[in-house]
Amino acid sequence: MTITERTITAPEETLALPAGPTIAHRPLGAFTRPQGSEGWTSWLFTVDHKRIGIMYGAAAMFFFLVGGAEALFIRLQLATPNGSVIGAGTYNGVFTMHGVTMVFLVIMPMAAAFANYLLPLQIGARDVAFPRLNAFSFWCFLAGGLLLVSSIFIGGWFQNAPDGGWFNYAPNSGLPFSPSKGIDFYAVGLQITGVASLVSSINLIVTVLNMRTKGMSFFRMPVLTWMLLITQFLLLFAIPVITVALFLLMFDRLWDANFFNVAAGADPLLWQHLFWIFGHPEVYILILPAFGIVSEIIPTFSRKPLFGYHFMVASGIAIGFMGWGVWAHHMFTSGIGPLAVAAFSVSTMFIAVPTGVKILNWLATMYRGRLRFTTPMLYAVGVVSMFTIGGLSGVTHAIAPSDTQQTDTYYIVAHFHYVIFGGALLGLFGGFYFWWPKAFGYKLSEGWGKASFWVMLIGFNFTFGPMHILGLQGMSRRIATYRADEGFALWNMVATIGSFVIAVGVAMFLWNVYTSTRKWQRAGRPDVGPDPWDARGLEWMTASPVPEHNFDSEIEVERLDEFWHRKYGVDENHRVVKTATAEEVAHDGSNTKVHLPSPSYWPIVLGGGILLVGYGLIYNLWLAAAGLVLLVGAIYGWILEPADDPDAAGHHDDHHDDGDGHGDPAGNGGPDGNGESASAAAPADTEEGATVG
Amino acid sequence: MSRRLRALVWLSSLLIIAGTIALIVVGIVVTDDHPLSTLSPVGRQGRDIARLINPIFIVAGVVFFLVQGAVLALWWRYRVGGSETGDGEHGYYEDDEFPDQIHGNDRLEIAWTIVPTILLAVISVFTLVGLFALDDVKASEEDMVVTVIGQQWWWEYQYHLDGDTTTPPDIVTANELVIPAGVDVALDIKSRDVIHSFWIPKLNGKRDAVPGRSHDWVIQADNPGRYRGQCTEFCGLSHGYMKMVAIALTPSEFAQWRDNQLTSADLPTEGTAAAAGWDTFSQQCASCHVINGVTSPANRGGDPDAPTDGWDIYGEFNGESAGAYLETDTLVAGAAPNLTHLMTRGTFAGSIFDLYLGAGDHIPYLDLPTSGVLNRGDLEAWISNAPERKPADADGLRGMPARTGLSPNDIDNVVAFLSTLD
Repeated sequence: MTITERTITAPEETLALPAGPTIAHRPLGAFTRPQGSEGWTSWLFTVDHKRIGIMYGAAAMFFFLVGGAEALFIRLQLATPNGSVIGAGTYNGVFTMHGVTMVFLVIMPMAAAFANYLLPLQIGARDVAFPRLNAFSFWCFLAGGLLLVSSIFIGGWFQNAPDGGWFNYAPNSGLPFSPSKGIDFYAVGLQITGVASLVSSINLIVTVLNMRTKGMSFFRMPVLTWMLLITQFLLLFAIPVITVALFLLMFDRLWDANFFNVAAGADPLLWQHLFWIFGHPEVYILILPAFGIVSEIIPTFSRKPLFGYHFMVASGIAIGFMGWGVWAHHMFTSGIGPLAVAAFSVSTMFIAVPTGVKILNWLATMYRGRLRFTTPMLYAVGVVSMFTIGGLSGVTHAIAPSDTQQTDTYYIVAHFHYVIFGGALLGLFGGFYFWWPKAFGYKLSEGWGKASFWVMLIGFNFTFGPMHILGLQGMSRRIATYRADEGFALWNMVATIGSFVIAVGVAMFLWNVYTSTRKWQRAGRPDVGPDPWDARGLEWMTASPVPEHNFDSEIEVERLDEFWHRKYGVDENHRVVKTATAEEVAHDGSNTKVHLPSPSYWPIVLGGGILLVGYGLIYNLWLAAAGLVLLVGAIYGWILEPADDPDAAGHHDDHHDDGDGHGDPAGNGGPDGNGESASAAAPADTEEGATVG
Repeated sequence: MSRRLRALVWLSSLLIIAGTIALIVVGIVVTDDHPLSTLSPVGRQGRDIARLINPIFIVAGVVFFLVQGAVLALWWRYRVGGSETGDGEHGYYEDDEFPDQIHGNDRLEIAWTIVPTILLAVISVFTLVGLFALDDVKASEEDMVVTVIGQQWWWEYQYHLDGDTTTPPDIVTANELVIPAGVDVALDIKSRDVIHSFWIPKLNGKRDAVPGRSHDWVIQADNPGRYRGQCTEFCGLSHGYMKMVAIALTPSEFAQWRDNQLTSADLPTEGTAAAAGWDTFSQQCASCHVINGVTSPANRGGDPDAPTDGWDIYGEFNGESAGAYLETDTLVAGAAPNLTHLMTRGTFAGSIFDLYLGAGDHIPYLDLPTSGVLNRGDLEAWISNAPERKPADADGLRGMPARTGLSPNDIDNVVAFLSTLD
């Protein structure tokens, strides 16, 4: 029997860390760094990618409840003909905020939660490339999100909420047609969240390109890492486009510019092009992370490697590229001319090919597997099944002439909810169940998990399935009500009931979080172990919850699914046999001698400055000036604070006594010793052979 | 029963259930007629679109059942049991058995890349052919061009009987687009303020009305009838209340309708309720609403000596600006429905209210003014407080302002006056 033998020893020696330049003792008096990793203040100043990931997830979940409540109001208003639950004005604000919230404040940050938490772990890194920037991304996102959501309450219930739809077409977004402050909130708020996305995308791209652990070549990266990387590139190129559009809109509304003023000669189609050049890649920004999550879950619970890894990666890249060439399919009725319609009709059709490849590869992964339908697996398979429906309806409106019947009807509403709810959101929920034990050290209840999955899935289909019918029967989108004799009453009522079933499913998820946490605490916080699902990625190769320093020592990767291969070998009959337990292979988090970046006051202060600038732009430029002062001050503080506080308790920086002169290995430390990645970038040097047999 | 057989029985019964549900749904969709349905087209263009998309619905349906069937089959065939809590010796599994570790199959991958590509290539050929055929917008037989102008939140139709849109229109009407059945009618779609979208689902797909642009479109109805529509591009506050109707008449009926529309209205006889109504109307309503032959530029604060007849009322009219964007402070300039032949229409206020009780469906369209029973309740409520019936921002010159100062008697008189407009 030739079983791959591995000896596993926990690293015991002190890690030899690279030294940065010597740091003066409290160089500027006031500019010290916060200390400690306990208590709620440590969350405010943290630069730990895992805590930032958790905060992204928590904030996204909060906004999810806000957006979900808005959805219920929409469904109540439309439940019966001539609905009068909320008036037309409020309705317009509610559906606009529902879309804006779910896209920008729920799905994107939930994906950011997974990207932050998992990306460094999956590539075996210590942290992201720029930990302080990472913290800033989160606070900036939160500032933009709170600014947007506050518009619901400021000046009365939905009096100043954006009311132009999430797509916010000009010239309806102009002051004469939307005189409230709502669209100012939209323009400013989304620019702020855009800054967060942009900064985060650069950070994560650098992380993946520069900080992969030894042997982690591109084609040994997990598919989730790949999909997140592609997502970051899409963000990098898409966010500037929407930012330009929002910037122009802001000038139109606040300072009487004429970018979208038709009377002054503007063509309103300019906004549409800018919005959708962003807007369609945005769809893939929403869905690709979920594709990555599904690609992690299905192999784990099929006990098989992902079928066609290279094709999965390639199809993700193909989607990333092709996603830029289909934007005008949102404009088939806008009057862009038959040639443009023809070109975008065809390009849209063919983007179905790489998506179909993904579906088939997931099915092939399950084929002849040993399928264990745990909660994460249910969600992942739910994505395969539901996303297929959204993909098929997508092809039906790639047929441009038929799209002239379907666009702006409930058929489209059904389509994109099957994609974004049935695809992205179900995938992200599956991810919550899958990585919850990794992040928190205990599992969510399988019983409640499965029950809430089925409730959510059934509610989802009852809500959005009938909308296909409603759309084909001619019900337009964004209408506050409909006449009784239009024949839409039956399916609207079904959809409304379905939406409340979804709400029950979500409540069951929250209840699951609560009871599972209580149960775990009552049981004395038992250790779930590093690898509760018998999974494949490097993130499972360390203790749960992941210790602050991620891995005790650098991992050398020799192949795809390194961790799984350290647990399993193959005998002479090509049968898989277990060679080591996860506990034997994984790091136990006992190495406390790892240098970590210190927390920082400045990311949250900078976020606060941006928030003030945001409100100031909308209400009072003096407030904006005050915010600007705070913002500039925060940037100075950021620059001037020491790389580490020599007085910090638990300070185990060996910069001073090391002095071997070997510089910052990542090369991005900067001469002032204040580089973001001076300590975070480099996985700790480790004694060779500690983990690799 | 073997496991395989049981799976087959289970699977086929599931498919039968799913198929039955699908059939019921399809049955409801097809049999239950809906006035805005895209599934039962009665116009040439609508039919062409349906002919293009229906086979693709079938293909999509087949793929749907194949994929969902595969998911269920894989589920049934390859699922294994194990610990619910994952605390067992083998985690969530009951043993340490692993299946063959298949990493992929390049030939299979290439196959399932190429096969859908070919399928979609075929579909795209049909799409392109259909697309360019539908785009070939040429009105047959008729010279007439109707300029369709969207504005918050109603539609204006300007009929150019000679097809020359650079000259003043011959007929101006609102919300109900009357066309001769059986012929292609050319439309020229514009907007005065924000983007709207003109859509009569049973006749053709939608076309956006974009300010500053002019979009050609064409509709045709096989049979005489009333076909509902809805503005389908979000256009602000009352978007949901911006509807329209296309009325297809036989050619002879259409000629009759056209000849009537070409006439101007007369001032009501002195001393009647209608005359009292005109007094109120001229003070309260005529600054926005035009009635050919009755209202004059003076009603809009213009030159009282200007001719009162016909389209001079559109002081700003020249070839370009009739369908062009008007700034809000000029939105009053004729941008309220022309009421010259109000009583010939079946609906009012953006087609959200029926002008005649029972929607007048049982009455031939041309007989509505003579045989219909006026829907006084909605009409009077509308005149006295329009924003209450249809959300509007009248202060921002968007929508009809409330006239709550009018007494019930005033309103009765105004209705009496409006009733003469047939």
